[in-house]
Amino acid sequence: MSGSICLRCLARPVAAIETAAPTSRIATAAFSTSAPLAANPPKKKGPAVAVKKQQHTKSFTKARAGGKGGSGGGRPPQQGERKAMRKRIVLSNTNALEVHGLEDMTAKNIVDSQSAGKMLGLSNEVLDALRAAAAFKPTQGWSLFRRPATLVRKETLEVVRQLEEAGDKKSTVRQVIFGEKGSGKSVLQLQAMAAALLKGWVVIHIPEAQELSIGHTSYQPVKIGEETVYVQPHYIAQLLGQIAKANYTVLSHLRLSKQHNLPIPVQSNISLVRFAELGAGDADIAWPFFTALWSELTAPSAEGEGMARPPVLLTLDSLNFAMGNTTYLNAELQNIHAHDLALVRQYMDILSGAESLPNGGAVIAATTESNKPASPALDFACERNEALQAGKEVPEWDPYVKVDRRVLKVMEGAEALHLKGLSKDEARGVMEYYARSGMLRQTVNDSLVGEKWALSGGGIIGELERSSVVMRV
Amino acid sequence: METRAMRSGFRQAIAAFRSQTKRYPSYQSRRFLATPTQPPTDEIRAAPPFRFNDKQSQGEEDMEEGNSGFAKLLPKLRIVPASPSYFTGKPGFTDDILELQTLLRKYITLPVLPPGEAPRIAWKTHAQYKVQSGEPVKAARYTKILQVLARLNYIHPSVMPEEVKKALEKYKRDVQPFLNKPKPGYVDEYGRARGVGRRKACHAVAYLVEGEGEVMINGKSLSQAFGRVHDRESCIWALKATDRIDKYNVWAVAQGGGTTGQAEAITLAVSKALMVHEPALKPALRRAGCVTRDPRRVERKKPGKLKARKMPAWVKR
Repeated sequence: MSGSICLRCLARPVAAIETAAPTSRIATAAFSTSAPLAANPPKKKGPAVAVKKQQHTKSFTKARAGGKGGSGGGRPPQQGERKAMRKRIVLSNTNALEVHGLEDMTAKNIVDSQSAGKMLGLSNEVLDALRAAAAFKPTQGWSLFRRPATLVRKETLEVVRQLEEAGDKKSTVRQVIFGEKGSGKSVLQLQAMAAALLKGWVVIHIPEAQELSIGHTSYQPVKIGEETVYVQPHYIAQLLGQIAKANYTVLSHLRLSKQHNLPIPVQSNISLVRFAELGAGDADIAWPFFTALWSELTAPSAEGEGMARPPVLLTLDSLNFAMGNTTYLNAELQNIHAHDLALVRQYMDILSGAESLPNGGAVIAATTESNKPASPALDFACERNEALQAGKEVPEWDPYVKVDRRVLKVMEGAEALHLKGLSKDEARGVMEYYARSGMLRQTVNDSLVGEKWALSGGGIIGELERSSVVMRV
Repeated sequence: METRAMRSGFRQAIAAFRSQTKRYPSYQSRRFLATPTQPPTDEIRAAPPFRFNDKQSQGEEDMEEGNSGFAKLLPKLRIVPASPSYFTGKPGFTDDILELQTLLRKYITLPVLPPGEAPRIAWKTHAQYKVQSGEPVKAARYTKILQVLARLNYIHPSVMPEEVKKALEKYKRDVQPFLNKPKPGYVDEYGRARGVGRRKACHAVAYLVEGEGEVMINGKSLSQAFGRVHDRESCIWALKATDRIDKYNVWAVAQGGGTTGQAEAITLAVSKALMVHEPALKPALRRAGCVTRDPRRVERKKPGKLKARKMPAWVKR
């Protein structure tokens, strides 16, 4: 599987070697259980290979002659190659066994309480849409199994039920998922997105709020009334592209219904996919296009072809980065608060309930526990909201510590969903899936489930996967 | 044929005489026997004790009469040592071992305890014995004494003779560490059993209650407390080795040291607490290596070395 790129020097292997290797040798390779013919070795053309080979040896000798490099020679990775490796998302493992009888997630079985504790696969359409929306992360264990599947846990059913209710009643679900590292916050969000896609909702996903706040993308001030907000044109253009791609089937049936003040002339009955793609093509016009698209999606549903408006699901991961100061500076050389970024503000308006979704919908944000900025107000707000929901004693903010009031205000009415470990039945369901995928070579019985459950800190699913599949002895 | 008959006749005659003459051991061998045997009447008897303040024994009367009288008595005086092993190299040791061997021979038929169940006794160390006897006894020799002592200690306590008890008393250390019994653990009214464990510089206390396998360490879950899966496994190793993971809940508080030390201190604490709940698991836990405290600590740094053992780099001059 990892044959395409050499992990040591990040160089592509010389194709001549691959092609020269006799097929019989591949067939007898002891470590691979996949059919030898299934993996088609990439064929490369002669001249390209020759050039590469030459480069390889040249730089190698150079490095040795200089005596400087500790890297052991080899071609240095090209620009962006390391990042591409780091961010590469692999959703399949040809060495893992195909799990027979693995159902696909459908709009029906995702709300069915019968499927609690079961694994459900993701169908190709949903998979493509989720991939386009960048819902998968490289840190998740998708690359261990034949095809992506997720566990339907108690919280999944609850969230999907809430989504269904919001769609029916045209209300807005405002939810913040928090919990321990590896507890499945992002995957729960992904399941909500998959369910929304299956229901024909529009899904807008910000995969990483960090990208908005650490100053890696361009920004520019925009006056809205008295206030100055900051627009990130390149990021928004990229987001528009993602929206268009992920919601292609839904948006292609919808047409523009309003007159907008846009910098370029646009056909009046253009489909919303085309509209978003137009915005995605040019960073300079992305923000007006995004606001126009947003107003289209939040317009009340009307009669007529392409005038119906589906509910919208807004999701945002790594909420911690959007709940404090960013590294962007304003004209006074002070750090800009994340809520002064135009895109983040749009999200926060809905999360706080200042703006509602007339066609129903949900905003689901997930916090992160790894490499997160300190955001005490958010932590406190999550705890407070959880205590309020449970009817327990509400914690009080330390009066001697300065509090970020904007964060507390946004979080006021949001539902806090504390994601804890799996139950033992759920753990058993997922471990049976591991075993049937051939990734866990032990008999799944009560004692093994109990042991792994305890080792993973009470069923923290990331740790469960780590201790039973990744760290296999 | 005749010679053969004559030979057998002689043999019988000799045998008839031998049985009478060998009734008592010969004088030489009898002297070195530890067991006092019935001495024959014709044996050389020790002279009566020589008292210097006793006039008669000193022959003062004769002295008064004149020097010639004392001189007359001198040949009669013969001091014989009280112990027959006086002329051996280490008479004290010889006496001791002979005494113990005598006792053992005397009571060899008494019932004994099953192997491994004799009361544990701290016998005097070799150094202490040397001080006591005042003789340069070698360690190997003292081991001989210890072997006899160990055998005598196996005599069933209900039939242990006073004589043996007295003899053993002489070789016991003044302080008997095995009499210090740890307080037996108990399960309190909330169903908790407490165990303490140590490893390296760490100290851990674990509380075990019946439950379903939840673990809390310093107020954190197992996965939050330890990043390494190996350390997490160490923490619940005692439960895993006895197949009890899903039967107990663990609360542990670990202090000091590093992560590995804390994890292994918790192993020991959990196993101690588990032994309170189920004492019969002790052999299984010993096999799993969770009963004995690992006494190793950081080795001290020595002068002339960079660390405990590392030598500074060699320099030509």
